[in-house]
Amino acid sequence: MEADAAALIGAGLAYGLAAIGPGVGIGIVVGNAVQAMVRQPEMAGQVRTTMFLGIAFTEALALFGLLLFFILFGAGG
Amino acid sequence: MAPDLLILAAEEEKSGLFLILPDVSELIWGAVSFVVIVFLVWKFAMPALDRALGDRQAAVVSQLEEAEDAKGAAERLRDDYQRRLDEGVQRADQIMESARSDAESLRQEIIDRAEAEAVQITERARAEAESERARVLEEARQEITSLSLDIAEKVVGTRIDASGHQELVERYIRELERETAE
Amino acid sequence: MTVPVLAQVVEVPSNVNHLFDWPAVLPFGINRVVLLMFLATLATFLFLYLPVRTPRVVPSKMGVVVETLVNFVRNGIARDTIGPESAKYEWLLIPMFFWLLFLNLFEITPLIHFPVTSRMAIPALLAGLVWVTFVFVGLKKHGLSYIKHSLIPPGVPKALLVLVIPIELLSTFLIRPISLAVRLFANMIAGHIMLAVFFLTTASYFVFEPKVVAFAIPLAFAIVITAFEIFVAVLQAFIFTLLTAVYIESSINVEH
Repeated sequence: MEADAAALIGAGLAYGLAAIGPGVGIGIVVGNAVQAMVRQPEMAGQVRTTMFLGIAFTEALALFGLLLFFILFGAGG
Repeated sequence: MAPDLLILAAEEEKSGLFLILPDVSELIWGAVSFVVIVFLVWKFAMPALDRALGDRQAAVVSQLEEAEDAKGAAERLRDDYQRRLDEGVQRADQIMESARSDAESLRQEIIDRAEAEAVQITERARAEAESERARVLEEARQEITSLSLDIAEKVVGTRIDASGHQELVERYIRELERETAE
Repeated sequence: MTVPVLAQVVEVPSNVNHLFDWPAVLPFGINRVVLLMFLATLATFLFLYLPVRTPRVVPSKMGVVVETLVNFVRNGIARDTIGPESAKYEWLLIPMFFWLLFLNLFEITPLIHFPVTSRMAIPALLAGLVWVTFVFVGLKKHGLSYIKHSLIPPGVPKALLVLVIPIELLSTFLIRPISLAVRLFANMIAGHIMLAVFFLTTASYFVFEPKVVAFAIPLAFAIVITAFEIFVAVLQAFIFTLLTAVYIESSINVEH
């Protein structure tokens, strides 16, 4: 039971902590993409594609945290 | 309440990996489905799509060509008209120009002829006047000569040989004329 | 006291696993997920085929939609990323994009409400296929020097190679396919859980206290999130296809 509790707490912490870095990272990616689009509106299409790529790469880390949450939650629940 | 709910329905538990590991039967059927969709798309859908696109492209190309032809014909027609118009304008200019020069030369000719006629008339008038004067003078001279001879006969009393003295009298009259002219 | 009533009326799942656990209903392990795969396969084919089946000079409205989307995958994803050789990889990219699109959109399709890609099978399958494809393309194009070029980035000091080679090995040949699969899978599972949470909350509030309109709050969230999940479904299909194209391109031009 205590191990279960630890797993549940760990699950919450795992996802919460894993979301911090990608949250900041996606903010930086999108912010710079917006700056680039404002500076060169004619490149907006290309910048948007690259921005989504950047978001996808960054977001993957948070999603690994989500997976960890499921593993630990399954172990604890 | 949430913990109660969790407990209520927590009969069968699966491991935490249940969610994130692929199910074998789903994998196999997924592979089959993907093979099927790739086959169907490339056997039927893409050829149909490409045919539609190709037909449309061909139609657009032929329409473009037709438009090009029509444009070329229209341009040729326009050039033709333009050329004719230019020629017409040029011809009109030429005609105007020649008419103007004709009129000018005609005017000049008329003036010249009129002047020449005037000169001629004056000339003729002068010549007539001159010849009349000369004739009158001659007549007067002959009159005077014959009168002088008559007077001289009367004075001398004899008949003067008219032809012998004619020259003498005329010389005298000419001297008279010269004196009167001076 | 009201818990059994609630459980009977709205069948709140006790565990998140229950949202994704579908027992087999037919032989050969065919469960609801597999049936939805078949449905998505059929829907994809009909969507791509029916509007363009009869060629005509002026296409129907759906024909325009299909042509625009296919051209987007062909030019916007494949050609812009891979370059002039992109036609060789369209066989993979075009069916993959539309299949994933339908599998993802099942998340918000009425009466279905289940994204097939929130089960790991299809993301893992397609990511494995992508892995095989880009490794095969690299080996075919550059032979064994593909491995060398993809493990040793240019301009790295010799001393660092001990560190760089394992990192590149991991990131190119292991993290790439795993993150490709996990990105799609985790996005869809998260979206499905979010929708389930808000709709079940709405239902619970409605059952418990129908006079207090508190259920309007989670309902509003649920509607907004439904709209967001449409965007996510399209975006994830796009990202998966785009990353496939990017990986193939990096195998073709591995030397820089």
